Amino acid sequence: MEEFSINKKQQDNITILSLNGFLDAHTSVELEKSFEEVLSEKNYKIVVNFEKLTYISSAGLGVFMAFIENARENSGDIKLCGMSEKIYNIFDMLGFPILFEIYKEEKSAIEKFS
Amino acid sequence: MSNPNKILFASSTKNLALVRDFIESKATSYGFDERSINQIILSVDEACTNIIKHAHHYDENKHIEMEIKFEKDQIIIIMNYKGKGFDPNDIKNPDMKEYFSKFKVGGLGVPIMKKFMNKIEYVHNNSEENSLTLFKSLQSQ
Repeated sequence: MEEFSINKKQQDNITILSLNGFLDAHTSVELEKSFEEVLSEKNYKIVVNFEKLTYISSAGLGVFMAFIENARENSGDIKLCGMSEKIYNIFDMLGFPILFEIYKEEKSAIEKFS
Repeated sequence: MSNPNKILFASSTKNLALVRDFIESKATSYGFDERSINQIILSVDEACTNIIKHAHHYDENKHIEMEIKFEKDQIIIIMNYKGKGFDPNDIKNPDMKEYFSKFKVGGLGVPIMKKFMNKIEYVHNNSEENSLTLFKSLQSQ
């Protein structure tokens, strides 16, 4: 299995990052770089699709915490979608739904920006 | 003969996937259900990540020795390492309301370990040697 990759696509002014594989302390560096790139291009409306993500540790969670303030300060957001029950449970156990909007479908996350 | 329940690996985040596979095969063989196996895997990943980051400062020349035991219906994961260790039991869980309101980053590994494992033991053997042990019983599923 591929360890980790990110597919990036643009839909109008929304950037969609689809994650594949596992997100741990090793691979989270790659996601950090993607966020830095997207935000430096002044794209602040971001949807992250977890459908093909098989695993996340706290290092992965930290990436979302590191960039959400920047996105929101610029009238954007990082909205999450497509999580398996296993991954949602980690987010939920730590209380992440307090800060992050989490949707089942990518379509719903995109619609919330319009 | 080498002990199949023991691995020694370089202290690098590159090896976390290998560690997770090792834990998964052992926990499965002891009869844990999928949910518990995922909890054990994540807890051990968090423990190793902390050692790699805080005790070894990403120095791949340092090593972690991991041994798995199954005694009295519980899985016991022992991690021996050199360097500056710390006792996770001394770390207070963060106030998550404050955590989110201040957009904090990091510090969630220990709360995850405490939530998912039944017991954590830390022994500082001498000036440089540490042993961190995680316990989870089959009954806690």
